[in-house]
Amino acid sequence: MSDLPNPLRHGLRIGRTPEPCTVVIFGASGDLTSRKLVPALYNLARERRLPGGFSVVGFARRPWDDAQFRQVLLDGVNANSRSGAVETELWASFAEGIHYQPGSFDDPSAYARLAERLAELDQRRGTGGNRVFYLATPPEAYPDIIRQLGAHGLNQSPHGGWTRIIIEKPFGRDLASAQALNQQVLAVFEEPQVYRIDHYLGKETVQNIMVFRFANGIFEPLWDRRSVDHVQITVAENLGVEDRGGYYDHSGALRDMIQNHLMQLLALVAMEPPVSYDADAVRDEKVKVLRAIRRIRPEEVATYTVRGQYDAGSLSGRPLPGYRDERGVDPASQTETYIGLKLFVENWRWAGVPFYLRSGKALPRRVSEIAIQFKTVPTMLFAETPMHDIEPNVLAIKLQPDEGITLKFGSKVPGQPQIRPVTMDFRYGTSFGVASPEAYERLLLDCMLGDSTLFTRRDEVEASWSLITPIHQGWLASPAQPFPNYEAGSWGPTSADEFMARDGRTWRRL
Amino acid sequence: MTSMTMVEIGAIEHELRQLWSESAEKAPDGQAVIRALTLNLLACTHDAEHADRMTDAIQQLTASHPSRAILALLQPDAPEPRLDGFVQANCLLSRRGTPQVCGEQITLDARGSAVQQVVSLILALLVPDLPVVLWINNPDPFAEPLLARLRSVVDRVIVNSQAFAQPTSAFVQMAELERAVSSGGLALHTFAISDLTWASLTPWRELTAQFFDTRPLLPHLRRIDHVTITYQVPSGADNPVAGLLLAGWLASCLDWMPLEDAFSLEPDLIRFYLRRPAVGVGTGAIRLVTLDLRPVEAASGATPGLLALHLEALDGVTASFRVERAETPGYALTTATIAGMEPISRLARCEEPSLADLLAAELRLRHRDQTFSDALRVAGLLAARLRRDM
Repeated sequence: MSDLPNPLRHGLRIGRTPEPCTVVIFGASGDLTSRKLVPALYNLARERRLPGGFSVVGFARRPWDDAQFRQVLLDGVNANSRSGAVETELWASFAEGIHYQPGSFDDPSAYARLAERLAELDQRRGTGGNRVFYLATPPEAYPDIIRQLGAHGLNQSPHGGWTRIIIEKPFGRDLASAQALNQQVLAVFEEPQVYRIDHYLGKETVQNIMVFRFANGIFEPLWDRRSVDHVQITVAENLGVEDRGGYYDHSGALRDMIQNHLMQLLALVAMEPPVSYDADAVRDEKVKVLRAIRRIRPEEVATYTVRGQYDAGSLSGRPLPGYRDERGVDPASQTETYIGLKLFVENWRWAGVPFYLRSGKALPRRVSEIAIQFKTVPTMLFAETPMHDIEPNVLAIKLQPDEGITLKFGSKVPGQPQIRPVTMDFRYGTSFGVASPEAYERLLLDCMLGDSTLFTRRDEVEASWSLITPIHQGWLASPAQPFPNYEAGSWGPTSADEFMARDGRTWRRL
Repeated sequence: MTSMTMVEIGAIEHELRQLWSESAEKAPDGQAVIRALTLNLLACTHDAEHADRMTDAIQQLTASHPSRAILALLQPDAPEPRLDGFVQANCLLSRRGTPQVCGEQITLDARGSAVQQVVSLILALLVPDLPVVLWINNPDPFAEPLLARLRSVVDRVIVNSQAFAQPTSAFVQMAELERAVSSGGLALHTFAISDLTWASLTPWRELTAQFFDTRPLLPHLRRIDHVTITYQVPSGADNPVAGLLLAGWLASCLDWMPLEDAFSLEPDLIRFYLRRPAVGVGTGAIRLVTLDLRPVEAASGATPGLLALHLEALDGVTASFRVERAETPGYALTTATIAGMEPISRLARCEEPSLADLLAAELRLRHRDQTFSDALRVAGLLAARLRRDM
């Protein structure tokens, strides 16, 4: 991060803007670019967070020119920006910096042309050699792009500027492939140049987990095995695989969701306080948690995991075909669209406290939350209320759709000798009245500012895969599952409920 | 809104409780009403029309700063003493199934000698353990008796220097008061001062600062030797406070000191000279910055305020940095021009903030805004020179 002292920055009520730079998007004709990346960049420009001279170069195979590319992006922003339709004048100014460079990812001459174009932009738009390369391509293209960038000297900037690379998930398919990809990347770029993106970490509420834990004194003393009975982390989607069937059938919920999003949430909930809020201090603590998680050996998968695959059903009143009938999916697929997992963090703080993770597609609601369930009181003081009527205290950190925090506790029913659970409810939307930025806005801006705190480090990725890979191996070695085993629009297979019931617990009703 | 003819503390609290019960009963099934209070907002004015506008702003603020608002409409010159109170809940529209968040407002309409009773009433109605903000919306806020009587409980005082009746005098007074309270010289309990005109400068300050987040352009900032601030004033009036505050901000950030008596005053130009630190080694001579404030008469209906800020470094490599209102309302055009390079310009949003936006920006501050204090100190020095000659 540039630490130049700009004296006009003191006391300004918004953060710094990055230095002028060029964001080069590989796979620029794809869905991610027009649905997420460019709307995010446009919103940053709209909120005055981007400097004059900021530029975008799209790189993809389609033989477009600048004007065609700008039109595609304009349509994308109009359809997908959280701020609604573009403001014409603002777009015109923003679009002056948008360019398109056609080429194949493995064609050296295309990179030579790209290098010329970037040099020309440095001169004309004052971008000073500062570049972000964004890999928004299928992962198969990563090695070619990285190699070509290195071969054409684009891994380093001229004029004393900086070069960074953002790599989209999936970062590998298993531990071996993640390690191989890391080696390919680090043969060309230095680790501080590499920003492995998990957009979940860009969500305001995910960032607020650390604020909630480490800026409030009342919770941390309760945040351990003495007070916590168990933790449930849920990321439920109320969609099928849509047009991602081909990709998803080779991935599944374990690799698509657990390895990255849910593991990151677990790490944030379970980590020790970092010594400072800087990139390496935070990531050091997250890695320690991931390394403290007890490995599930392949032969233990039946004990610690449960999986499912959705059948035909309906979501929000609309019929949904079964997973095996989706386009691009093997009709005999054994890919899981639902997973439940029990993990233990074997350290002083969390020994013996189960962390239950679940994620699935075609569930009734889109909801993500982390619930900390506390232990119940040891004895019942109030004779009129049976012990089993007392519900445990639950602290729920809701990530979507209504971001907020609720705390459930027991309270006396007025006029009656009964105790009922009530909740204290805090919601971001109603407490701050300010729209949260999209995750990609925050993460793109952080990368341009050189702040990698919310990006995943090499050892984090590998630690996470080292947990996930044996589970997958265990499943491959297990008998075929009786898939499909849950109806689209339900809360997953009955085996998932049985999985919890074995521990005398239930999944939270969300 | 529920009216009461007699004001008693117990009755107001009772009326508020009643209001909350009714709101909860009227709420649709599955939709809770949440009473959320983050501060006590005391608002006072002598003008009934202002009171309506203030009520609108307070209602809009519920989204970001739900509060117990006490609006005091004070009309001491009215012949008959009278004190009326009204209560209302300010609620946000909510999506079905989500809780409705409400703040609350008490309006006190005091006339004649009954104005004297208002302070005791306000003190009794404050919600404990929450910050107390006093928003004074009158053209001579520092002469407002309420300020003197409430200063021991107030954490922040909000005024709008653009609306001062005697701009330079009141501005100098504000600068002196700010210096006194920030030094703690007035009392054990001190308060912060907020100026809505300062809040309105935020986008201008952001856009100006952004030029110099860029490594190659930063060195030019210390070379600036000419500043021109153009601002729009209503016909027949001249209130230079926005320009003074922006100039004060630049000067305090860049260690420029106004030279005593070195300024000139013409109908369409106020020129100050400031001393700036020398740049580099062996450049011991005093360097001057020329600061021009240029008032432009506003067309009918146009909002007073800044039109353009132009920073120039003319000694050596010529560099120019300009922020100006664009032709399309709600936008600003920024242009950096360095000798030997292509100009870099862009259009940026620079909307005219609403009263509620400005208030919200100041209410977000938890402590004294040191940047404002520093800017006001220098701006106060400039205003003091003007006061002597206007």
